[in-house]
Amino acid sequence: MATTFETRRPGSRLRLRNTLMGWSFILPNFVGFALLTLVPVVALFYLAFTSWNVFGAAKWIGTANFTRMVGDASFWTAFRNTVYYTVFHIPLTLVVSLALAVLLNQKMRGVAFFRTAAFFPYITSIVAIAVVWNMLFSPDYGPINQFLRAVGVSDPPGWTTSGTWAMPAVIIVGTWREMGYYMLLFLAGLQSIPGELYEAARVDGANAWQRFRNITIPSLRPTTFFITVMLTIGSFKVFDLILVMTNGGPGQSTLVLSQYIYQKGFLENQFGYASSISIVLFAVCIAITVFQFLMNKRRDA
Amino acid sequence: MKRSILTAIGLAVVVPLALASCSNGGGTASSTESATASGPVTLSLAGWSLKTTPEFQKLADAFHAANPNITVDVKEYDATNYDTQMTADLAAGSAPDIYVQKNLKNFITYQSGNQLLDVSDVAAKVGNEVSGLADYKVDGKTYAIPYRQDSWYLYYNKDLFSAANVKTPDGSWTWDDYATAAENLTSGLKAAGNPALGTYQHTWQSTVQGLALAQTPKADLLSGNFSYLKPYYERALKLQKDGAQVNYGTVTTNNLNYGAQFGTQKSAMMIMGSWYVATLIAQQANGDANTFNWGIAPAPQYDSSTAGTGKTPVTFGDPTGLGINPAINKSKVAAAKEFLAFVASEDGAKGLADIGITPAHVSDAATAAYFNFKGMPTDNLSKFTFSTHNTKPENPVSKHTAGLQNILADLHSSVMSGSASIDDAIKTAEGRAKNEVLNQ
Repeated sequence: MATTFETRRPGSRLRLRNTLMGWSFILPNFVGFALLTLVPVVALFYLAFTSWNVFGAAKWIGTANFTRMVGDASFWTAFRNTVYYTVFHIPLTLVVSLALAVLLNQKMRGVAFFRTAAFFPYITSIVAIAVVWNMLFSPDYGPINQFLRAVGVSDPPGWTTSGTWAMPAVIIVGTWREMGYYMLLFLAGLQSIPGELYEAARVDGANAWQRFRNITIPSLRPTTFFITVMLTIGSFKVFDLILVMTNGGPGQSTLVLSQYIYQKGFLENQFGYASSISIVLFAVCIAITVFQFLMNKRRDA
Repeated sequence: MKRSILTAIGLAVVVPLALASCSNGGGTASSTESATASGPVTLSLAGWSLKTTPEFQKLADAFHAANPNITVDVKEYDATNYDTQMTADLAAGSAPDIYVQKNLKNFITYQSGNQLLDVSDVAAKVGNEVSGLADYKVDGKTYAIPYRQDSWYLYYNKDLFSAANVKTPDGSWTWDDYATAAENLTSGLKAAGNPALGTYQHTWQSTVQGLALAQTPKADLLSGNFSYLKPYYERALKLQKDGAQVNYGTVTTNNLNYGAQFGTQKSAMMIMGSWYVATLIAQQANGDANTFNWGIAPAPQYDSSTAGTGKTPVTFGDPTGLGINPAINKSKVAAAKEFLAFVASEDGAKGLADIGITPAHVSDAATAAYFNFKGMPTDNLSKFTFSTHNTKPENPVSKHTAGLQNILADLHSSVMSGSASIDDAIKTAEGRAKNEVLNQ
């Protein structure tokens, strides 16, 4: 392959031309990517080691931002809250979307309707979702608490207005919103499982649970892995939902890392510090993703 | 075929570049053109939501009428993202000659970033009738000139007061009088079969903290000592518990609109900024608000030493000012300074008062113009409220202010929602202020 470049044979001209053609095809997209994503990301790594308030030159301060972070209680609060959200949101979404997918993989009347209905939350605007759920969660007059009172809960939670219940409320809404999307992925995975496997199992006398446990789950491994990775990244960078629903409150009870970055950067104009927190968030996401890949590989082997 | 594709791509890349450089050239050409010292000068001014915020165009037109040689073009920005967009434009060098300091919190960022021209000479010229001028002073130099000074009043619904048989404010109210009135209004209205509540407190931290900071003797935001907030929160929580105002949780979860709460007579009182005067009048005119008799009274006071029409009540509010972009063409600086002097002058103030805006320049003429506005209450207490008050800044100018206000916003939501006790929340906030903001 490489030899074609050494001697200028007619083929090399064609190859050069093809290369150029290839590049020119990706150019429009790449220019946008480079300008809007690559450059800012590279700049981020530089800014994280500076003190910069937008105007003028950024002042190099070494690792001061990172040492500051270690002693910053609000950063740790945001970090803990992000982990809290992630730890509950991932398994919950996995279970709910898988259950939905299995249910809607059945042959039944109106299955297309139910699949569409389950997917609806995902295509609805996040702001609309947050506003409507906030009303549902309203402590005194909201339908959720009215229902809870009707079934005999005398002191229902304050949901988004309570420091203890705000995070569960956000997790519920986050799960509700995303379950349709992951259900769709699971559904695709389910439909690629050959029907003969189930038939054979049935002939061997396996019941429904055994079939699910020994055929469905192992066959869905690649899908589950992909979904877990997507969910992890999505959970760690959760932002818009929380911003509109609780704005991090009450107090700091739902403050997450992305929001803390936003606060430091765009509200307090500390772009250097905000960049360094972004890097930590990035590192956490990378580390967990790599770990997941390694785990997956080991299980494959 | 292949060649034509390549050519097309090449063109697609080159043409926009060429166009961009062309338009760039055009821009510089026109700005040097208008910069001739003797001829007509065109200044650009930043503004937002021009359709619903007529003040910028009003100032530009009034100034042009007085100085036919100078034209002011208003460049529109988005109201919510104003500071972000302005920051980007300043950094890119494409910001207008004169731009608005929409709030005092971000002023320090522009000032310390060398994005404001020293306008101390204008400040010396406009004099002491302009309130809020001192807020733009950093190290003895003034960097912006206020044209508008909003401050917070007590709005009250005269019809609901008489329905509940409660005496309307007389200008001498302290916070205890206000709380008693709110409770009496609620029970009086209930007895009259009216579901309206005594008062309404919006979700903003300012509704409690702004007045606490302005009125409490020796209260200082930048000291990191927030104990001055306690009595103000105790009162707010009590009113909420007694049902004299809507629960904070209900307000946040249902996104209640303060204009609708007062404007559709769901509450008999509301503490709100002076901008709401023009809004309420407009909403009464277009039917978004009911028609009822209302008035403004001074915000309730810390104690009797400042309460009463013979004294000067203390309230809070941040000025809105104009500053000059240092990237302005040198030959236009004099004209720009003239414009700044105009917006803080009596003539500028009258123009603003004509459209229901509280000008920074205080004068009898402006007061008269303001109360000429159709739909404005005309009782003496409202006039006193508008013309006499000591307005202290909500956001004292400091690089720590934004950080401290964010901490206090957390305090506000945790106290008002009942997630933390007042003492605990104040202790947490003081600790955070010390460890996260004041040490930076």
